[in-house]
Parts: sequence; structure tokens; C-alpha cells
Amino acid sequence: MKLPKDTTRFAQIAAKVREGQPLDLDDGVFLYRYPDLLALGGLANERREALHGDKTFFNVNFHINPTNVCVADCKFCSFARLEPDAPAAYTMSVDEVRQKLVDRLDQPVTEVHIVNGLHHNLPFDYYKDCLRALKALRPDIHIKAYTAVEIHYFAEKYGLSYEQVLRELRDAGLDSMPGGGAEIFAPRARRKLCRGKADAEQWLEVHRAAHRLGIRTNCTMLYGTVETLEERVDHMLQLRELQAETGGFQTFIPLAFHADNNSLAKLPPPTGIDNLRTYAVARLMLHNIAHIKAYWIMIGIKTAQISLSFGVDDLDGTVQEEKIYHMAGAETPQALSRGDLVRLIREAGRVAVERDTLYHERWIDDGAALEGIRVDASLPYSSEAGRVSLPVV
Amino acid sequence: MSTTKQTIRVQAVSFLNGRPLYHTLIDPKHTPRHADGTPMFEVVEALPADCAAALTAGDCDLALVPVASYVDHPEWEVVPGIGIGCRGAVETVIVCAERPIEDATIIYLDGASRSSALLLRLLLHERGLSPQLERVEHGRGEALVRASNGTAAALIIGDAAFGLRDRFEHTWDLGAKWFETTGLPMVFAFWAARPGVLGPEHVEALQRARDRSLGKYAEAIAKQYRDELLARRDGQSTEPVLPETRYADYLRKTIRYGLETQQREGLVEYLSRCRLAGLIEIPGLHPEDQVHVSFVGAGAPEQLVAARARRTEPLDVDAILQRAAAGQRIDLAEGLFLYEYAPLMRLGEAADQRRQALHGDGNVTYIIDRNVNYTNYCVTRCKFCNFYVPPTDKTGRGYVLSREQLAQKFSETEQLGGIQILLQGGLNPELGLDYYEDLFRWTKANFSLKLHALSPTEIIHIAQIEELPVIEVLRRLQAAGMDSLPGGGAEILDDEIRNRISPFKNSTDEWLEVMRAAHALGMRSSATMVFGFQETPEHILMHMDRLRRLQDETGGFTAFIAWPFQAAGTRLKLRDDTSAFRYLRVQALARLYLDNIDNIQVSWPTLGPEIGEIALRFGANDFGSVMIEENVVSTAGAHFMMTAREIEKHIRLAGFEPRRRTMEYGIL
Repeated sequence: MKLPKDTTRFAQIAAKVREGQPLDLDDGVFLYRYPDLLALGGLANERREALHGDKTFFNVNFHINPTNVCVADCKFCSFARLEPDAPAAYTMSVDEVRQKLVDRLDQPVTEVHIVNGLHHNLPFDYYKDCLRALKALRPDIHIKAYTAVEIHYFAEKYGLSYEQVLRELRDAGLDSMPGGGAEIFAPRARRKLCRGKADAEQWLEVHRAAHRLGIRTNCTMLYGTVETLEERVDHMLQLRELQAETGGFQTFIPLAFHADNNSLAKLPPPTGIDNLRTYAVARLMLHNIAHIKAYWIMIGIKTAQISLSFGVDDLDGTVQEEKIYHMAGAETPQALSRGDLVRLIREAGRVAVERDTLYHERWIDDGAALEGIRVDASLPYSSEAGRVSLPVV
Repeated sequence: MSTTKQTIRVQAVSFLNGRPLYHTLIDPKHTPRHADGTPMFEVVEALPADCAAALTAGDCDLALVPVASYVDHPEWEVVPGIGIGCRGAVETVIVCAERPIEDATIIYLDGASRSSALLLRLLLHERGLSPQLERVEHGRGEALVRASNGTAAALIIGDAAFGLRDRFEHTWDLGAKWFETTGLPMVFAFWAARPGVLGPEHVEALQRARDRSLGKYAEAIAKQYRDELLARRDGQSTEPVLPETRYADYLRKTIRYGLETQQREGLVEYLSRCRLAGLIEIPGLHPEDQVHVSFVGAGAPEQLVAARARRTEPLDVDAILQRAAAGQRIDLAEGLFLYEYAPLMRLGEAADQRRQALHGDGNVTYIIDRNVNYTNYCVTRCKFCNFYVPPTDKTGRGYVLSREQLAQKFSETEQLGGIQILLQGGLNPELGLDYYEDLFRWTKANFSLKLHALSPTEIIHIAQIEELPVIEVLRRLQAAGMDSLPGGGAEILDDEIRNRISPFKNSTDEWLEVMRAAHALGMRSSATMVFGFQETPEHILMHMDRLRRLQDETGGFTAFIAWPFQAAGTRLKLRDDTSAFRYLRVQALARLYLDNIDNIQVSWPTLGPEIGEIALRFGANDFGSVMIEENVVSTAGAHFMMTAREIEKHIRLAGFEPRRRTMEYGIL
């Protein structure tokens, strides 16, 4: 396990980074394997600070997952229920989706994040009606909805082109798209993990179409399953290539695989150091994507806080309801209050910035006293108000 | 900070019992002076309540005040180590009556008193008595009782109370009553100062003045006092004049002039009970927060004052880190500077280099042991603990493990490959030295397990119960089979923090003294730190500095372990200001500052294995123990459990080779 430390090679790569030259596959794999974690983190941090200084972004959003009925059988998923009458399967009515926002009308939420299973018989109108209902309620809210996998599924199911699907959804209220469903692009790994789901080319093509329509999107990578380090770096490179073409990606979000209630449960989850390495390598490989986000709900707020020194500049939102990762056993609290999040960012020596979905700065931490921070009975760093119990499956 | 050259304006109580505290301050021959000859103090005599008023009004800088007046002025700083109190009868705080005091319909309160009046109200409250209370001028009480036909009682304090017990059939000595109720000393008054006025030199001078007066001048003070009484005497005086020796005895034996652990316990207990009874309110203190007393200079001992002094050369992060990474000693000022200004990653790199230099074999060690908490009865009632049950508890939650239970745990440990028992428990007043000696002998006779047993807090507790010196307790425990000591109970080794969070627990010096004694006997120990009690960087660094100095002396510490306070379910309602980030900073700094302690252990039970893994790159070289059982932090929300296999996995993921070890860090 102990690897020789090739400091000369590292120095060459560091020089490339500093000159703004893109790194290649070998560089990425070398960095992944480089034993000196802090040197790697330090280099990523240098890039992060060059791009964003101490700014650390978050937004106030909430998630809606209107249905978990899904025709895909992804091995890593604990959320989807294949049949509508399977235990814990659900599909919300448009009114129920609308109610989710009604419940939060008094909250300063700026974004709704919507992701679904691939339902076998909902009409296309359902998805558009959900968007319309939310926009009618709060026209100013930003809707970030439907992954490329869903868009691809809609196109096939309803016989439309990607562009037609996206136009119709945009007209109904879609503002931007989340980056989910990318999983890992390597066909070998994809066959094992999620046979039958949109493949790498289709995923990238949907994003290309979205970017052409001016719809900004995010991108992700699921890691810690069956992929190799080479396949991780290659995944990043494919994203980088599309970004060079369109410039439409805002943020890259590495997603650590969670193994509790799915058929890959025998795999050990990625742990602290693997997570930090992935953030750092991503920051260094993806020189043309502005932001690297740590999805704290998945890796835990402790590692997320440390990741701010390893290339990460975005901590996602004060997430209000998230089912997918919690069904897979993420043991994090479901919501962090704004004060908690800002405190953790301050503690890490950074400046918290509340952003909207498109990274307009709404509020910059001025160091004033924070409200609502008291020790909660069971959840680390969660205020009493923000305490939500995990869904029971 | 301290205004060194100024003369401190002092108001002191003219009662007999106050005099030893200022006797040498008013004696021109002995009064402490600054280097240039100006006196440090200028003393005016007054009644207790007037002293407090003068301090409030800013008419003086330092005053001998009733402890009750501190309640309204939490900003005051108390002079450490000095108080006026008693342990049992006090003789000069007396309620007297011609009929039983329980039957009195009115009690006259001495106008000069505050702490005593409050204590009386508390005692009445706790007895369910509610006579009318009326304040009267100091000295009038006795006559009013005599005139009341037996319906009234009076609280009389100070010198007027001498001999009241001989003159009235019914009396309460409030010192004795308090002791009956709580078993604790009572503190009536202490020196309090306006914040920031006193420096360490003043504290030292005041402590010396007290020691000198009591050592040499008790008789002289008694005589002088008696002469004054005789001179004042007129035809109507009822106050008897007692023999000189009686007064001297009172000063030497009845009154306790210290403010050490026991007295602090009494003090906090008194204020807490009064608060609970609704008799006092402390402005700015949350109802659930612990009453605490802030002491002069508690956060700023001499070394710190020096460390914060202006330097000729500006401090430079890179230069300090480079020296520290190379194993050179950094001083307190440099440590503070790193804690406050060094970026996490730089601190981590330097700590990682230092770890590599000390443990370059690529190994990370861990131990298989079992944490056995033999009892959860505990008298200390620490606010941050969610494990203890008070000895008075009647709910049946308390336990002492039986030999059968212990035998089962011990043999399971052996079967699981464990080599050691980490034996810790509450401070159970029922368990004396015999219990531990028997237990250790029995363990050694029946099992081949090392005994890593009893933190300093428990050792001190046993020494107190047995009235034996700490070293003697340790010697006997060692003879019975104890191998080493865990470093628990250190929390933050700074009395300002300790007084806030665990006023009933041993002080910093007491903790260090146990370790010093154990190391002298050849027993090794670990050292710990729990942070997150809203301590300042100074407290953290002083903690490390105290450990480093002791280690220079004894070399007995094997390892250092720090972890953030686990708040869940405890009564200590603190803003949670710890985080993984802070943990890594503290740990990396510890690796650099504690240049004479070989091993740094990660605390995965409180932080989780992932941060544990990362922490191995921030200076740590040990993954702690498998901990077959752990009850204390897990009752406060830490829920991480790992098997040896998992521990080895995380060690490997961090790029190290796992190795099992002994308590003394020998590889197995």
C-alpha cells in the first residue's frame, strides 16, 4: 500500500497547473495515487483560492422527489421501486407536489430541486404540470429539474427529440438541470451498474442540447462502486471536453456511493481520504468548470468541512428534504440550518456566500452573530428547528 | 491588563475575621511595594455590604465582599486561593432566639450582612419555614430579640455574635447548619476586583499577606482586636470580651482562609441552591447554565502574559513551522500564533513531517482493550457528563459491577484478543482503597490482562476518602496490580474553564500532581484534552504547555489524545463551537507543540472513522483502541463502533500498515 513518492513528477504537474495547462489522464491517475495527501490538497486549494478566494457558496433550496417508481434497475440505488405497488413505492399528485412548496412559502427558499424515478406510465403533461404548479405559486423561484437520464427517457417514451423535450419543459418553468445520472461513463462499469439507462453519449448529448438552449446544468460522477481510478479520471475528461465546447456546466459534484439498502451493499463505501482525493483531483482536472461541490448530505458534514481545503468551494444547500441518499443509509441530518452551515464555513476559515442557482451572490457573511446555534440532542451541528428524522423504509 | 505601577484602592471588612487578609497590607513595614517603592495597596476599612457598594460604585478597585454580592456582578474577578469561610461551625454567623427558632414569627436580619442573610433565607426555604424577615441596623438584633417576648429571632454576624451561644438558649450556627445539609465548606466572603485591574503580582502579594498574617501575627491581631474592644467598651455593652487565645483560635482554626477545590465546591453549591430556590438571579446567565466564578488572571498566568508581550522580531508562520517540523521546540507565543494564524494545510504538512520523523516505519498502531466502567455512581455532577448517576439516586439506574459481571467482561476480552482493561468509573463514595486493591489482586490472579486503570480524578477521590497522600494511594494500587493510568479527567487543564464546567472536580494542579506521582513510581500514563467548552486559544495552549512541562520533568506520558466535547444529553448547554476542522488543527498543533510526547492518537469514537483516517495525515500515528465497550461518550451521542478489521481497513486506506500494540506502544 505504501507507494514511493515521485516528487519530481508531482512538481511537473504542479507547474502545469500553475501555467494553466490542462492535465491529462496520466496526470490525473498519478495525482489520485500520489501518497502525500496534503500536497495534493494544497495544490487543489491553490486552484480553488485562485478561482474563488475564500468564498464558499451555499444556497437555500429544497428537494422534491415526486415519484420513486422506476423502470431502471440501477444496482446502486436504494430509492427506486420498480413497480407502482411495491412496498414504499409512491407517486405524488401534482397537488401534492405543489403542497411541498406551499409548506415552505414562509421560508427564504430560492431553488427547488426535482428528481424522479423513470415512471412507466405517467403522461408528459405530469412533469410540465408540476413545473407550472410551482411557478404559479412562486414565479420567482428557480426550478432545477430532471436529470439527463429523465430527459432521455421522456424523449424516447413520448417520441420527441431532446431539444423538443427541453423546450417544452423550459416553457413550463424549468430553469436549469441537475447533474445526476452521469454515474460513471465507462461502458464496462455502466454495464455492471445500470444497464439500460441512458449511456454516456446520450447523457452528454442531453446536456449539449440543454446548453445550446441556454439551460445551465451541473455534472456529477458516482464513485466508489466498480470503477477504476482511470475510469474516474476519464469521466472527468469527457465532462471537460463538453465544457470546452459549450461552457454550460456550472458545477461538478462527485457523489460518493452509499451501500446500505441496495444490491451493491457488499462494497465498502468510499471513506475520508478517498473522498478528499476525489475532490482535489476533480478541482485540478476540471480547470474549465467553475465550481466543485461537496454534497455534505452524503459524505457527512465533517468531511465536507475539511473538503473546503481540498478544492471544494460549494457546500450545496440547506437541504430540506432528500430521500435518495437517506434511503441508502446516509447518516447525516437531513437539514442544516443556515446558521449551522455558516458557522462551519467560518470555522474552516472561509467566507460563506449565499448564492442563487446561477451563482449570483445574494448574501456575503459579514461576521455578525449567528442565530439558532445550540447543541441539538442527537444530531451534530443541527439546530433544534432543523432537526428532521430520517425516513423509515 | 494590570496597571502595575498604580496603587490599588482597597476596602476591607473591619471584622476580626477579615483582618488577617489585610493586616500586613496596612503595616507600613510589611506592605508590599512596587519596585519604585510605591505601595501596591491602600486600604480603607468598612462593613461587608459597604465594601461591595464601594466596588460597584468604582470607589475602590479591590474589596473584601460578601459572596452574595458577586451575584449582581459576574464581571468581577475573584482573587484565587483566598476566601473567608468555615467547614462546620463558624461562631460569628448566628441566629439566636429565646424560643426554638422554627417557631419564630419574625427574624431580624443584620443590616451588615448579605451572604449570611441569603444563607439563612436558603436554610429557611429548604426547611419550609417562612417567618417575616426584617433588616435592621448592624448591632441592634440582640436587643430586639430580648424585647420580643420570645416571638422573634435575629441573625447576628461578625464580632457581635461571639459568645451568643452562651447567652441564648436557642441558636443556629449557620456554618454548622450548612455543613449538616451539604457536607461542604461555606465561603462567606472573598476578595473581588474590578475586571482587568489586578495582575499576577497582586494576587501573589495578597496570598503572601494572608499567609504571613496567619503564620506570624494571629496572636497580635487577636490582642489588638481585644484592646480595641476594651477601649470602646461602655456601661451598656452586652458584648463580652473573650480571652485573646479564643480570638486567635478563631482565626487559626475556625475560619478557613483558603479557596481551594472543596471551598469552590461549597461556593458554587451555595450559589446554585440559592438560584434554584429562586432567591437570586444572575444577570446574563442562561437558566440552564452552570453558575461559575471568574478568577483574576485565570486565563493569563505569567507564561501567557510573557507570551503575549510585544516581540522584537515579528512571528513568521513558515519559519515556526519549519522549526517545529524539524523537531525543534517552539515556545508558547509561537504555539499560540500557529493556532491562531497557521492555515490548516500548512499545519497538517508540518505535523505530518514530524510524524514521519518520529514514526517513519509506515506503521499506525492500535490496541485491543475493553473499556470497563465499573460504577456509574459519581459525586462530581459534571455538567458535561451524561453517564453519571448521583449516589443519592433512587431510580435504580446506578450500578457497581459485580465480580461475576467483571469476570465475564474480562474473559470475553481475553477471548477477543484483548490485552488490557481500561478501568474507569464515577467517583463512588462507597468504594474505598480496599475495594480497588482487592479488585486488582483478583484480576491479576485470574486473568492475564494489563490494568490501565483509574484516571487522576478517581485517584484524588480515593485519596480524599482515605485521607491518604496521593502517592501512597498510587503505591498501594501499583502493588495490587495497577499497570498504568488513563489520562482522563483532564478536560481543559485550566482552572478558569474547570470552574465553569466541573467545579466539583479536581483542579489543574491536582491532576498534574497525580500524574507526577504516578510517573515517579514508574507507571506510564496517557494525556488527554477535551475541547469545545468555549475556551480561548490561550486555554488550549496552556493545557499543552502544562503537559509539556510535566513531560520534561518525568517523561511518563506515552501519548496525547484530544477530542471535541460531546454535548448531547448533558446538562452543559454550550453553543457547539467544535468541528472536524478545529479537531485537525488542534491535533496537528499538538504533534508540533508536544515535542516530547511520542505518540498522538486519533479519537475516532467521537469523530468517526473517516475523520480518523484523515487525521492520520495530520500528525497522528495511532488509531486508539478497538474499545470492546465504551459507555461514557456513547451516552452523549458518539456512536461509532469499529472492529479490529475495520480499524485496519481505515489505517490501510490512509496508506499505513496497521500494527497492534501494548499500552506502552510496544508492537505486538
